[in-house]
Amino acid sequence: MTKEDAIEKARTDLAQRLKTDASKISESSVEDADFPDMALGAAEEDEMSGMMMTRGWRIRLSADGRAYEYRADKNQLRLYNYKGKNYRV
Amino acid sequence: MNRNNFLIHVALAIVLILVAAFAGQLNRWRKHWKAQMRIVPAEEKARPQTPEQIAIAETEERGTPEVLVKFKSGVSSQTIEALEARINDRIVDRIENAPGWTAIDDMDDASPADVVAQYRALPEVEYAEENFAIEIPDAVDSSIEPVRPHDPQFEEQWALSNSGQRGGKEGADISAMLAWATTTGSDDLIVAVLDTGVDYTHEDLLANMWLRPASMTPYQDNELGTVDDVRGFNAVDNTSDPMDDNGHGTHCAGIIGAVGENDLGIAGVNWKVKIMPLKFLNAGGSGNVKDAIEAINYAIARKKAGVNVRIISASWGSTQKSRALEDVIRKAYENDILFVAAAGNSSVNNDRQPHYPSSYNVPNVVSVAALDRNDQLASFSNWGAKSVAVAAPGVDILSTWLQNAYEEKSGTSMATPVVSGVAALIVAEHPRISVDDLRKKLLASTDPIVALKGKTVTGGRINAAKALE
Repeated sequence: MTKEDAIEKARTDLAQRLKTDASKISESSVEDADFPDMALGAAEEDEMSGMMMTRGWRIRLSADGRAYEYRADKNQLRLYNYKGKNYRV
Repeated sequence: MNRNNFLIHVALAIVLILVAAFAGQLNRWRKHWKAQMRIVPAEEKARPQTPEQIAIAETEERGTPEVLVKFKSGVSSQTIEALEARINDRIVDRIENAPGWTAIDDMDDASPADVVAQYRALPEVEYAEENFAIEIPDAVDSSIEPVRPHDPQFEEQWALSNSGQRGGKEGADISAMLAWATTTGSDDLIVAVLDTGVDYTHEDLLANMWLRPASMTPYQDNELGTVDDVRGFNAVDNTSDPMDDNGHGTHCAGIIGAVGENDLGIAGVNWKVKIMPLKFLNAGGSGNVKDAIEAINYAIARKKAGVNVRIISASWGSTQKSRALEDVIRKAYENDILFVAAAGNSSVNNDRQPHYPSSYNVPNVVSVAALDRNDQLASFSNWGAKSVAVAAPGVDILSTWLQNAYEEKSGTSMATPVVSGVAALIVAEHPRISVDDLRKKLLASTDPIVALKGKTVTGGRINAAKALE
């Protein structure tokens, strides 16, 4: 997965969760980031992950004045701390 | 008075003065000699004078504890004291930083093993073990000639030999070259890498990969049925193929046991060893408790079947506690298997925010923090004065990767197999060592590091050469 793929996939996922049109979701920022583990610091409940620092992208989106954070690398996309939980997309 | 009498009196006076002066000097000399020659009473002579003598005397006074006993929570001091009185034992010390643990001296001259058995049978006792004597060598023998392998990328392996390359601190390494003068490992022992699998075709690993002996039947599992475990175990899809589809497990395996002195790539902490891949993390590097348990159960079952699994290396974790996972790690302990686990990468104190499995209070668990090439705790590494045992190099570590590649990676994931590798060297040198003694020897084999003071149990970086003394 490329950075562009991850951004597109994140927008689609957020639109589905918010039950809104993808055009209403804006991209606040996308930056390279080092995450603390192989779950990109966004492990789901009961999920174990490798303790290796992992290079990826932090994707910040916004909709209706609220901010959302996705984390991605070439293998995966995750939604971070959405209503108190993390999700693998 | 005539002239003669006068002279006699003067002479007498002079003699008397001289006698008095001589007597005074004699008295001073007598006092001086008395002070020098004073006979010291026996009890005073035995009294310790120096701090070392005082410490030794205090230890002798208390008696050397024979067993360490952990009483169950809720057992009061009064109950413990009554218990000691009843079985004629004596509490020597309550151990700091280890709640519930008490050092006990047996007064009946029973063997430590018998005393341990006696305590383990008591309902008030959670655990008991012998008080193992640990001798910490002052320094590694300087007469030992270091052994340098000819693997072409060895120069980049600062964790094994830090010459100050790339701005590092010379000597901030695990003294691998000195350790190799004693042993480079043994292919009679097996280290299980519980991870994403291992690329067992990697040319720098192939010769050190475990294969099920031809005489051994395939693995039988009540739930899975027959698993043809030729190369290890895969709990992700319950196939017999533990091939790595991520790279993380292959990296950890190379740190433990990339083939040394083969003119290829790197050298592992062990030049020869047998690596058993246990795959439970998927291609993304994540997994679940159930699969971890299945994989550990596999290793235990193989141990029971005669495969010499001595160490499980676990470079993963989470903040979620699982009693089931803890129980299976305890089962590994009961089968004499060390469990080396990553402390975690969240820059937090595990004493306050535990990370599992490294924070499980099971006697075979060794929790590992990460150091950089300058002997500093890695910026990402968790720590814990009570809960993290030891530290090892874990930043910019070069090791094997998928498809005959090599990559540098960072994390307590990388520090963990360094310690697993040192444990394997100890077992190579002492094949019959128990898991308890192996753990204690590991923890007694560190170089004190200023940056680790108050950060780990040992406050030191693991030293492979010390571990083999």
